[in-house]
Amino acid sequence: MRSRPVFDKFGLRLLGVILVLGLLLAGSLLLGLATGSSRASLADGWQALWGGGSSTMATIIWQIRLPRVLLAATVGATLALGGLVFQALLRNPLAEPYILGVSGGSAIGAISGMLLGFSSFPGVTLASFSGSMAVLAVVLLLTGSSRRLRASISKDGLLLGGVMMNAFCGAVIMFLISISRHTEMQQILFWLMGDFSLMTRERLPLLLLAVPCFLLIAIHARPMNLLLLGAEAAAGMGVAVSRTIVLLLVATTFMVSVVVSQAGLIGFVGLVVPHVFRVLLGPDHRLLVPASLLGGASYLIVCDLLARLLPAAGEMPVGILTALIGAPLFIFLLWRAKK
Amino acid sequence: MVFFAKTFFWAAFVLLVASIQQAGARQLVDQAGRLCTVPDEPLRVVALAPSITEVIYDLGEQQRLVGATEYSNYPDEAKKLPRVGSYVRLDLERIVALRPDLCIAIKDGNPKQVVDRLEDLGIPVFVIHPQNLDQVVQVVEILGDLLGAKARGLELAASMRRRIDGVRQRVAARRHSPSVFFQIAESPLVAVGTRTFIHELISMAGGTNATAGAEPYPRYNWEEILLLDPEVVVITTMVGNPPADRLTAPWRQWPELRAVVKERLHIVSADLFNRPSPRLVDGLEALAPLLHPEFFPKEATP
Repeated sequence: MRSRPVFDKFGLRLLGVILVLGLLLAGSLLLGLATGSSRASLADGWQALWGGGSSTMATIIWQIRLPRVLLAATVGATLALGGLVFQALLRNPLAEPYILGVSGGSAIGAISGMLLGFSSFPGVTLASFSGSMAVLAVVLLLTGSSRRLRASISKDGLLLGGVMMNAFCGAVIMFLISISRHTEMQQILFWLMGDFSLMTRERLPLLLLAVPCFLLIAIHARPMNLLLLGAEAAAGMGVAVSRTIVLLLVATTFMVSVVVSQAGLIGFVGLVVPHVFRVLLGPDHRLLVPASLLGGASYLIVCDLLARLLPAAGEMPVGILTALIGAPLFIFLLWRAKK
Repeated sequence: MVFFAKTFFWAAFVLLVASIQQAGARQLVDQAGRLCTVPDEPLRVVALAPSITEVIYDLGEQQRLVGATEYSNYPDEAKKLPRVGSYVRLDLERIVALRPDLCIAIKDGNPKQVVDRLEDLGIPVFVIHPQNLDQVVQVVEILGDLLGAKARGLELAASMRRRIDGVRQRVAARRHSPSVFFQIAESPLVAVGTRTFIHELISMAGGTNATAGAEPYPRYNWEEILLLDPEVVVITTMVGNPPADRLTAPWRQWPELRAVVKERLHIVSADLFNRPSPRLVDGLEALAPLLHPEFFPKEATP
């Protein structure tokens, strides 16, 4: 192997991506903390952020805004990364983190928990997490041995199985909604649209469960590049294909389940963020993994910030904004790339 | 011994500090069965549901109100209050920013998680949970006491009870309680079950709820309605205030229905029926003449 300089061309690009998106994330974090629905001025927020200002402002920033900004960041990072992994594993541009039925499973869990009168934490959270884990178990059982899993991926069996799973869960969800009472229905709908507003500081450590998955996915960036060439080619280049696929599948589903159980179903982030960076940076997962992680986090913080600021009867569910902003943005990028 | 003396001293000290902190505040059990510490003189109150805002205005204590929820539209003045989200989707940050010394919440509707978080942030929350008309009247007394308007609360409650008894006495001599279909939504058709305020109002006004049952807000289709064949149909006004003809048109498609034959399709204002506020009594007084016009000669209609 020939020796390389410390910063080759790729190293410089990686550093650039991390630096730019890292700054963007830091900026969104500060902005997310400094502004909010109480219409206190940005200056007030800024002052309180550095220890000045009233005690009410301090409570708002550290007890109310901080948990939700950190939740938004983690959810954004997780979903964007989850989408990236599934798009690579399933070799399908329409794949997103919920594609294996995670959303349906966790929704059934969460809604059942609400109808049974569980407390929102830990009751509904645990029910939601169990629901998605049950779906993962069913998917893995259906695909059976890792050899069959490989075949299943190449023949889109895994993908179709997941789609069916979500369709089935969708029907169960509609049924549960139809038998719910008015007050429960509100709670259910807000969960289905995604909700950051009830996050507390005490629950923040739970989000750390996603971090080992981030690392695991990061070290598999190169195998993911090779998997894009097809399972046979990847195996030929020394990738333990089946093991890698199962590992990534389980890690991704696990981290997505963690964030969904805390925030409900936030749509579209996982689909669009990886595509945006693919258009901007090319297909190399060694760049796409950190880019999706940091970019997804910033994107959801900004969407949540807008959701808090836009006037509505109450607060606008953030899931509306992710697609409302993301879809036109992506169409613009596609159009520009074609030109 | 020294240890016990020290312990005793510390315990006494802690109790003393606690009692000093309690000065200007008192402990009450709210209607949700929670023990809460409320200020003797709440000065910055946020009402977490439109019905609570209405009660506070009725008590004449609106100067204490610093915030209300969306749709707090009665009386007109209440529309100017700063908003803290809708009662099912409260905006925690806006509530905290108003620096309330008391929030008044309603158990049916306000999310429990938000109430818990307000308490965690040191804001006392008093929860009301009226489940029948009698308890709505009690809420007026309780909130009167809570907001330093005890006399006004008792007086208002007494007047509500008098008006309710007035309606009851008028319809007491009835020989027949007409069956009533109370439509609260048109598409899908939704009526009211047994455990609702409206069911109670129908009974008090001398009617029989045709859709009584365990489900609070049951859905109906026309097939079921033709079988029910109610004698009176009461329709609440809807968003956008469509004209009366528009609201009764779906019913007129079925000329064989008793309510259509006898022209007993009536429109009432939804605001008088869908909130557990003192206006339910207005609702009762509006409903009774529709069910028993014989006891309410036109000129004496309240």
